[in-house]
Amino acid sequence: MKPPPFEYAAPTSVAEALELLAVHAQGEARVLAGGQSLVPLMNFRLAQPGHLVDLRRIEELTRIRAEGDTLVLGAMVRQSHAEHAPEVALLAPLLAEALGYVAHPPIRNSGTVGGSLAHADPAAELPAVALALGAELVVAGPQGTRTVPAADFFVGAFSTALEPGEILTEVRIPRRGGGHAFVEFTRTHGTFAIVGVASVIEVDGGGVTRASIALSGVDAVPVRAAAAERTLTGTVPDDATVRAAVDATVAELSPSADVHGSTETRIDIARATLRRGIELALTRAQDRR
Amino acid sequence: MTTTDRPAAPPVRTHKQDRTWVGKSIRRVEDPKFLRGRGGYIGDMTVTGMLYAAVLRSPHAHARITGIDIAEALASPGVHDVITGARAAELCDPLPDFGPDPTKHTWRCLAVDKVRYVGEGVAVVVAESRYLAEDALALIDVEYEPLPALVDPERALADSATLVHDALGSNCAYERTFDFGDVEKDFAEADVIVTDRLRWRRSGGQPLETVGAVADFDHATGRLTVHTNSLSFTSYLFMVAGTMKIAANKLDVRPVPAGGSFGSKLFATKPAVIAGMCSREVGRPVQYLEDRVDNISNCDHHGSDRVYDVRLALMRDGTLRGIDIDTIEDYGAYIQFGVGHHGNALAQVVGPYAMTSVRYRVRAALTNKNQQGAYRGFGSEVNNWMLEQIVDKAARELGVDPVDIRRRNFIREFPHFIPTGNVYDSGDYDGVLDKALELSNYKHWRAEQAKAREEGRCIGIGLITAQERSVFSATEFWFWFDEPAAPVTSMPESVTLKVDATGAITATLYSCAFWGNSPETMVAQLVAEEFDCDPHDVSIVYQGSGNGLPATGPGGSRTTVMLAGAVEGATAKIKAKALRAAAHLLEADPDDLEWADGGFQVKGVPEQRKTLAEIAVMLHLFKHSFPDDMESGLEDSTVFDHPYTTMPSADRKDLGVFYPFMGHACHVPVVEVDVETGAVSFLAYAAVHDCGTLVNPRSLAGHIVGGTAQGIGTALFEEFVYDEEDGQLLTSSYLDYLIPTAMEVPELAIGHHETPSPYTLHGIKGGGEGGRMMAPAAINVAVNDALAHLGVRVTELPITPDRLRAAIRAAGAAREAR
Repeated sequence: MKPPPFEYAAPTSVAEALELLAVHAQGEARVLAGGQSLVPLMNFRLAQPGHLVDLRRIEELTRIRAEGDTLVLGAMVRQSHAEHAPEVALLAPLLAEALGYVAHPPIRNSGTVGGSLAHADPAAELPAVALALGAELVVAGPQGTRTVPAADFFVGAFSTALEPGEILTEVRIPRRGGGHAFVEFTRTHGTFAIVGVASVIEVDGGGVTRASIALSGVDAVPVRAAAAERTLTGTVPDDATVRAAVDATVAELSPSADVHGSTETRIDIARATLRRGIELALTRAQDRR
Repeated sequence: MTTTDRPAAPPVRTHKQDRTWVGKSIRRVEDPKFLRGRGGYIGDMTVTGMLYAAVLRSPHAHARITGIDIAEALASPGVHDVITGARAAELCDPLPDFGPDPTKHTWRCLAVDKVRYVGEGVAVVVAESRYLAEDALALIDVEYEPLPALVDPERALADSATLVHDALGSNCAYERTFDFGDVEKDFAEADVIVTDRLRWRRSGGQPLETVGAVADFDHATGRLTVHTNSLSFTSYLFMVAGTMKIAANKLDVRPVPAGGSFGSKLFATKPAVIAGMCSREVGRPVQYLEDRVDNISNCDHHGSDRVYDVRLALMRDGTLRGIDIDTIEDYGAYIQFGVGHHGNALAQVVGPYAMTSVRYRVRAALTNKNQQGAYRGFGSEVNNWMLEQIVDKAARELGVDPVDIRRRNFIREFPHFIPTGNVYDSGDYDGVLDKALELSNYKHWRAEQAKAREEGRCIGIGLITAQERSVFSATEFWFWFDEPAAPVTSMPESVTLKVDATGAITATLYSCAFWGNSPETMVAQLVAEEFDCDPHDVSIVYQGSGNGLPATGPGGSRTTVMLAGAVEGATAKIKAKALRAAAHLLEADPDDLEWADGGFQVKGVPEQRKTLAEIAVMLHLFKHSFPDDMESGLEDSTVFDHPYTTMPSADRKDLGVFYPFMGHACHVPVVEVDVETGAVSFLAYAAVHDCGTLVNPRSLAGHIVGGTAQGIGTALFEEFVYDEEDGQLLTSSYLDYLIPTAMEVPELAIGHHETPSPYTLHGIKGGGEGGRMMAPAAINVAVNDALAHLGVRVTELPITPDRLRAAIRAAGAAREAR
């Protein structure tokens, strides 16, 4: 479990990092952003980058700030930093809650928000949160900067809209009202989730005005529970409505079987977890009014 | 063999009542060095000029090796040698093997002409660093011709078209049926016969440091020095000399702290042989330390992997009569310990219950998996699980309370010989049960369970009462065969005690490299008890095999009892000499002296005394003050042999005494099952153990907690999963092989009960494996208790959400439950 040889650089600016990626474009250059997924993959020799461009010394990527009602996180913000930051608690409590489920504290001390998003593990928490909250991902490249909505960012398992030579620099998350909930099902604490549910539900006079729900672990990319969102919106949801919303979503799922569960079991677990997520978000939405 | 012709038991001892140190929860004397990172593991060792080895693992479960090209690997930077399996077979003989017929299921350090499981070693690279060695592994080109993979043990036994070992002509390495007592009569007279089919899937001990060795072959002397974290270095590792084709007196195996074994390093000869072979070839010291994937896929052994078909004969009132056990054990591709697992099971096969007959059929299946062997309990924990599941099922079918059926059948007179011939030396099963019912708040939880059920929640209480055998005799490894390979085996343990010129005491141990237990604390407390000193002032050192006295090493919960015997013997010799010296110095008759408070004094005249230090300095420096026949120094050793083991009968209807010091425990987990997801969580967990007289309650509690945590892993999480079609190992890292964390392990309420053994010093019994011997059984019973009203009964471990959901779906229960 030792990686093959690679070269390593730790630039201090995004421009310098982009330059290094460009120079080593033919040499399998990869961005290192915390290393909690890439380094194990290298040790298993499943990833064999020739060059690592470590972003850890780029000061500007480590900041958390509020731009009005938008939370802006540098891509290199450590997960434990975001988990406990007052700006995150205020503007995106769903993110703060989800971060508590990411592996274990020592891993969150090294792992970064941008690293998790760019790695795009189908079972990861943060991609589902970005999708549910309608986050925007700011990408720097040789041609300048572009912004990609979360809905377009996740392309496949471990695959994103990032082009070779590009770097995810920032995540912009609009503030959402209502009640939030992140719930997930893991076999043991901190291991990969069988399903995760990120929900934000807004209510007005008891009725649901807007519901944003995303699931992780059920497909190659995080998916919106669009059927549940439609079913809930405009109703004063009771148990039957929630059940119908869940059933409508689950009917469209066909998660792949693996050593931890058959497709059938994964659907069972998704059904229960989605219902609990919606119920918790609804309860919190009603409590907040 | 009838009771009358059984060999006599050892004399019953009277135990000292006013103990100072034995029974006290002192801090472990081992802790400071480990907590400071000064333990000195294999990974910490560097020897000048040391090179590193890495092993190429087979990607196939079963395949012929038709060609290996190592040219590119040999030319890779920093590489000193590449040794293929074929060359290794010329350099070394097969690995030491206690299997039924090693010539027909031959086990080598690297595969020669075919691979038999995913992960089996094919070649080894020696290089300047582990990095460079792994780079070279990637350049070795092996041609394989895949063969069908055997994964299911029952299918393997039925399938003779595909053979794991062609020379064996079958995939059954061993089969025999034993009858103990009058099985036919018990089944004929029974009111009820309960049957069960159970499946225990394989998991294994997960040490913090994997198995490794640093070997240094000196061509000048022909001497091989191996530092390794194997546990059996003084007892069996002379056999490594045979594998290496060197004289045993040219091999010195030096102990290294094991960093956890739990049975997984009991023997572990492969890394020592690989490192030794490489060192001899390259003429430099070589380290081979398994990485985690090596350890999971190609370790010395996984734990049990068993199928049971069981029948239990009992009367309508719940009285148990006899049990008929038919078991198939999946040994994987090799079988180094034979069916020793089942010897463990037979030591306590009837549990704490007064049954009169046992039929035991065992078949050892060979399949395309890593071989398996010892894991905390060594197969007896599987038997505990099987027995408690069927007793629980019987209680449910008869409508008898689970506490009552157990109490009704308890053995109450000791010593008690069970049908297999093993003895239970002492016990108080009612006392343990009473304590457990109180500690677990049993009645409260039964009420909570009823309340929860009305709310649609599924709470279960898993009460089990089971045995915890200790201090094995190796007869259990050979009584399987009619021709005994040996007379009764003694499995000794040795201690040297040295009192230096200042009166300070050093104890030398000849086995028991720290493997997560507390041999140093145990010896320090026992020495302190004998000499009235502070245990933290006793110095403990280890000796390698080259200069060692006979010893066996930890295993089968034997360490404390055996070391106690050795300490007692060495102490007696030292005190005898010290008494003579004191008598001489005090000009008194030895008969007029007594040992008191760390010295000898004249009876009734305590001011006329010589402390141990005063005696010691005289004996070390002033020998001429003593009679001519007294030698300088104050040091002695005792080789302590197994205190109670007897021969099996020739017809094997009585296996003799081989595991006599019988502990007992009652575990009561309370679980809640989430019917919708199949998740199991703990609401409470109580455990009461009786391991005879306690030496250190705190360290025993540590064993109980750790063992229970491992039992939780076995019951709910841990499984080496091999793909049913192609035999791929699907859980080759901790991503998928799930170990319970502190978050999954509940706070344990621990109770101790003390029923001294009549045959050991202070009445001590072993207790190192207890937690894991009970927890899987208890948790399975708890889950079934939670789901019984839904018609769900789980018969397979681990109880994963997938298996539990499948069972619930099959019972059509989920919808009704909500």
